[in-house]
Amino acid sequence: MDELTSTFVNESRDQLTAMEDGLLKLEQNPDDADNLGAIFRAAHTIKGGSGVVECHFIEAFTHKVENVLDKLRNGEIPVSGELSTVMLECCDHLGALLDVFAAGLPRPDDTVQTRGDALLARLTELFLGGGAVRSTGNRDGMLAAEDDNSIEASGGGVVDTDAWHISVRFGPGVLRNGMDPLSLLHYLTSLGEITTLTTLADALPTAEKMDPECCYLGFEIGFQTRASKAQIEQVFDFVRDECTLYILPPNSRIGEYLKLIDELPEDNMRLGEILVRSGALTQAELDDGLSAQSRAPVREAAGEAAAPPPLGDVLVEQKVVHKEVVEAAATRQAVVSEKKALEARVIRVHADKLDQLIDLVGEMVIAGAGANLLAQRSGQSDLIESTSVLLRLVEDIRDSALQLRMVQIGETFNRFNRVVRDSSREMGKAIDLVITGAETELDKSVVEKLGDPLMHLVRNAIDHGIEAPALRAARGKPENGTVQLNAYHDSGNIVIEVIDDGGGLPRDKIRQKAIDKGLIDAAATLSEHEISNLIFEAGFSTAEKVTNLSGRGVGMDVVRRNIQSLRGSVEVDTIEGEGSTFTIRLPLTLAIIDGFLTSVGKASYVVPLDSVVECIELADASAKRNYLNLRGEVLPFVRLRELFAIGGEVPKRQNVVIIQYAGKKAGLVVDTLLGEFQTVIKPLGALFKHLRGIGGSTILGTGEVALILDVPALVGLVTSLEDRRLTAPRQPELLASY
Amino acid sequence: MAKTIFLVDDSATILLSVSSILGKAGFAVEKASNADEALKKFKAGVKVDLLITDLNMPGMNGIELIKQVRTLPAYKFLPILFLTTESQQSRKAEAKAAGASGWIVKPATADDLLNTIKLVIR
Repeated sequence: MDELTSTFVNESRDQLTAMEDGLLKLEQNPDDADNLGAIFRAAHTIKGGSGVVECHFIEAFTHKVENVLDKLRNGEIPVSGELSTVMLECCDHLGALLDVFAAGLPRPDDTVQTRGDALLARLTELFLGGGAVRSTGNRDGMLAAEDDNSIEASGGGVVDTDAWHISVRFGPGVLRNGMDPLSLLHYLTSLGEITTLTTLADALPTAEKMDPECCYLGFEIGFQTRASKAQIEQVFDFVRDECTLYILPPNSRIGEYLKLIDELPEDNMRLGEILVRSGALTQAELDDGLSAQSRAPVREAAGEAAAPPPLGDVLVEQKVVHKEVVEAAATRQAVVSEKKALEARVIRVHADKLDQLIDLVGEMVIAGAGANLLAQRSGQSDLIESTSVLLRLVEDIRDSALQLRMVQIGETFNRFNRVVRDSSREMGKAIDLVITGAETELDKSVVEKLGDPLMHLVRNAIDHGIEAPALRAARGKPENGTVQLNAYHDSGNIVIEVIDDGGGLPRDKIRQKAIDKGLIDAAATLSEHEISNLIFEAGFSTAEKVTNLSGRGVGMDVVRRNIQSLRGSVEVDTIEGEGSTFTIRLPLTLAIIDGFLTSVGKASYVVPLDSVVECIELADASAKRNYLNLRGEVLPFVRLRELFAIGGEVPKRQNVVIIQYAGKKAGLVVDTLLGEFQTVIKPLGALFKHLRGIGGSTILGTGEVALILDVPALVGLVTSLEDRRLTAPRQPELLASY
Repeated sequence: MAKTIFLVDDSATILLSVSSILGKAGFAVEKASNADEALKKFKAGVKVDLLITDLNMPGMNGIELIKQVRTLPAYKFLPILFLTTESQQSRKAEAKAAGASGWIVKPATADDLLNTIKLVIR
């Protein structure tokens, strides 16, 4: 793809998104003229661009769309649900056409083409009927009348010359509009040859009255060319409304010249002479004509009565402006300037550059930690002080750098307006989408990967969650179902909730199905929470009827896998008959964490600091049990030495790091606590992908490798072990088998 | 000396294509993607022989830009062309009243474009 094509494709996609957003806003606020303007402008830009890159199928399609939008903007057609639906479909189709163009195909295939034709037919039928035909009819009529007049007014006989005659009197304002008459004359010579040229300075006032910025000149030009009258006229197109322009073709009737002489402001005899000199007329023809005309009565007086009212009157009328109009204009201006200010504050940066910066900052963090370690070892207080200042600055830089990659989740959420709107119509359900916490920020790389799982959850909520209107009425719920998207920060995590007020998950069905599929044992005792969360197991789908929305072969297990690959987790809480809440927890960033360094034997482990609650000494290290009494609370724990099968002497003093995740606490027994440690996460190689309990690795200042513990997996492991021990107390070997 | 043309359009596609046509025709090209940016350059006294601007732009529109530029003494007689389409005939008058010299109807071929430019600068 060349640069122009890719620029066009990218730009058009942006415009399409803007157009779609605008159309959705339009439904809520049909009278917003600025929004209408923005929608129109988006379509217009796409059309303009497609013309430039010569993509005619996009141009033709957008042209029609633009026509409808233009009518909409001018208030000729009203905003309606039908209109937005068709327009949104047009957006989709435009997206498809862009794909075709981006793929370098010469034209869309038959399916796309047929769909486009159908859309155009609908647009024409619904919104573009009639009007256009009438107006062309009118114009034809006017032209015909003009022709009649000219024939009537022209005298007999034909002037025998092969040159055109152009009479032009420039208006006083042309110079001030940046038009130089000389460049027009210059341009004329590219069309043909100027045979005679007379400059008329008659309109030039006396020196004291002359405005040097005004143009007072006129020209009589004899012009030989093969160009058509339209082409010659076009040269003067820009000055047409303030100029007096007459163009007489070669071999015009004498009467036409006489009319010209009569109508021009200069003295008739003088103009006549010019024409004679240029060879357009002979002296005899001129004399005859002028004497004949002086006998005929001037008919112009009658015509003047019908002339348009003087501009002054119009201006006076225009001064009577209503107060509301002024106020509306003022608010509009305020909005515009606000938007401008916002635009000026934002810089677009290529994501690669940011990633590179984050990488470098990551290396700097590691190097800084190394320097700090050396300083500590050296025991020089000055050095320790300066490295700690440095380290604090590095920390600030890290935070600011990470902040650069943070984006608000609102944009991702807003995409669902369209999804909810379309799919609720498709399903015949009335559903409102409520978005809260749109300003919550998270790492761009997380946002990108979040789209698909979120889409799945929202579709599920619409499809399976919200009941049909009749059922809702029977259950005494409001007719409109609500899907809520919510985001907030929670101790180093971002939590995203997809909440619906639908039917909730049927636990009995889920349990039965899980048993049928062999996911759980028929005799197993599971908590309500565990049953609900069975839907995330591979190969699970409760939909009785496969609809257009879900049942595309992608189950909730894929959602969970996607989220887990982001070091996050997903859970569902549900109350039958009242609705479900899907909760996604994600780390704020994937790149750098504040860690808590511990060691077991010779190995170092990093626990993400966000999840560390407190550290205590393991009071009774010799006890065989795997729980302790934390201020009256039962805290299950796991010995990392056992879990990771680390050999060596067990020290006398062991410590417990108490971690928390998603409301559950667990203890990790380690040998020593080494303290806070800022670190960059390096992903584990593919070889170690199956390892549970370890989330990544990092390099210590000393160059050693430390493993980063996967807290959600560990907490899950510890709590499930504990639960199982409660239900089946005689299975103490589970840990070893893990 | 090569003539300089100042091109203002919010569409990156138009900016790229028009400036490449102008560049090939031997013009120097100055670009801005919105009217505010353009006006700033004008106020800073940018040396140009022709301004070509789009009318429909977010923020300040082209007509306002033309009005503003015309008020600056240095650009009192600057040729100004605006980009328009067949469907926007009504805006021509408005733009002309604001002080534009002429217009270029989009989509324009390279020849159309260069011919129109020749009309206003020698």
